[in-house]
Amino acid sequence: MSILKVRELMVFYENAIAINNASLECERGKITGVFGTNSAGKSTLMYTISGIILDLKRKEQMRGGERITVLGSILYEGEEVIELEASVRARKGIILCPERRRIFQESSVIENLRIGGILATRQQAKRTLEYIYTIFPVLKDLKNREGGFLSGGEQQMLAIGRALMAQPKLLLLDEPLLGLSPTIEEILTDAIQDINTKFGLAVLIVEQYARPILPIIHYGYVLENGSAVLEGTSEELIENPDVKSAYFGL
Amino acid sequence: MPKTARRKKRLDRSVKVRTEGLYALTSWSEITYLLLPRLVLIMGLLSLPFFLDMYWQRVLCAAGIYGLLALGFDFLAEFVGLVCLGGAFFIGAGGYISGLLNAYLGLSPLVCIPIATVAGAVISTLVLVPALRLRGIYFAIVSFMFPLFAVYIIVALSAFGGTEGISALDNLPNQWVEVYLILAAVLVSLFLLRRLVDEDMGLILRAIKDNDQAVKASGISITTYKIRAVFIAALIGCFGGAYLTHLYGWLGISLFGMDFSILPIAATVMGGMGTLAGGVLGALLLTPLSEALRGFGQLRVVLYCFILLLFIVYKPEGFLSYFQRKYHQFELWEEV
Repeated sequence: MSILKVRELMVFYENAIAINNASLECERGKITGVFGTNSAGKSTLMYTISGIILDLKRKEQMRGGERITVLGSILYEGEEVIELEASVRARKGIILCPERRRIFQESSVIENLRIGGILATRQQAKRTLEYIYTIFPVLKDLKNREGGFLSGGEQQMLAIGRALMAQPKLLLLDEPLLGLSPTIEEILTDAIQDINTKFGLAVLIVEQYARPILPIIHYGYVLENGSAVLEGTSEELIENPDVKSAYFGL
Repeated sequence: MPKTARRKKRLDRSVKVRTEGLYALTSWSEITYLLLPRLVLIMGLLSLPFFLDMYWQRVLCAAGIYGLLALGFDFLAEFVGLVCLGGAFFIGAGGYISGLLNAYLGLSPLVCIPIATVAGAVISTLVLVPALRLRGIYFAIVSFMFPLFAVYIIVALSAFGGTEGISALDNLPNQWVEVYLILAAVLVSLFLLRRLVDEDMGLILRAIKDNDQAVKASGISITTYKIRAVFIAALIGCFGGAYLTHLYGWLGISLFGMDFSILPIAATVMGGMGTLAGGVLGALLLTPLSEALRGFGQLRVVLYCFILLLFIVYKPEGFLSYFQRKYHQFELWEEV
């Protein structure tokens, strides 16, 4: 039973096509990966699923700039959400952890987490907060530090924590390993796996750097020029010669 | 696929693509395509005074001043990233200097105006320099403050005629000089600014708006460039002020009035931010409009706000951007 079904999704930035007839599914309680090089349409996919694209669209309209067109369907728990605002989708449980973290620079770590937890009940928030401190102990020590003063890795942990606080049913991670060191990568991938197994949370990871992510996913897609050209389980993808050469340099 | 199997596709007209390079000069149709909008604007502005009576010519002059301010505002806001609400300060500085030179030294307006333009711009720039490190709304607030300061200083010290102002200054030689001076100023500054923003300096200014740290990292002093940009905008605004003083033969604290800060912004929003010409056209529409609505008394502010609101809600890009697009591009339905 899949929690998210994307069907024949097309996104145009004016005449340029960013996502071309992409279809993919996220299973309940599984980690799904989407891999692709730069300009494959990964971030656009994230914006479209989380609904941020509607906001971008409106801003472009205000400026009289590019016209963004979104066609196709996104079924979330059997319900069409493609027309819904990002905030409505978030309330339904689709939570995006955005690319480049986008944490609130001038708020402290704890404040960032509490902002994320605005949708949660008091008890949920308390429980999630404790859980976040167990998977990312470093955040507990830096509790009162301003977000902008954290290192890149700590910021990424904070961003994931903030997304978790919103009590997601489907967690979207946009390039969680962007520009991070191998040690931090390991902490993060372990954490993602832990989140998935402990809560049975469906996770959709979009990443360009497939090497550390491929082993932890259950099912994956390879995105190329806006279309899903390849799909398969983790093992199938790892064994695939094209993936090998493109993402492992073998 | 079901309901949305088509989307509107927007393509550049072939003549637009052909006229982008030097080849534009190879055929009459392409030259016409390039020149038409510009000629319509120039010819339209220059011939406008012939169709207007004395009163409306005056209105046109006022519209020209607002147009100049709108140009300066648009240039600073869209190309340098400084939202400057200090239009009234430019007008005031230029106006007071020119008026005082005329009243105390008895210089002719044609000498006063250039001196006041430069001197006023220097003063305005110096005043704004400390605020240049501020960005966005903070710069706007600080620049909004200066005209208010100036008014209080003049009132408190009773300097330069105090609240009464100085009247009976020399006017410009005749009505035609008045009208064509401002029209020429508007056209010249419009086309020079449009050229400037495509030159190297314009590139740097736009880069400052985008990401000032990256510009600094390229070894460019952003403060110097911001000062230059403010000076250019101030030059345009101060000319408007100096001209205004001699248009009415009077100077007073209403030269620092909020109208000069706010109306240009409205005009720019209406015409289209970042188009430069849009602000001028917006001013040419808004000023006569607010004159025509004078019969409504205080209600005209409401009507005027209502029009603005309609623009912000339904055509936030501004009418010039809209027409530009229609001129350069066509649309067609495409199956996907």
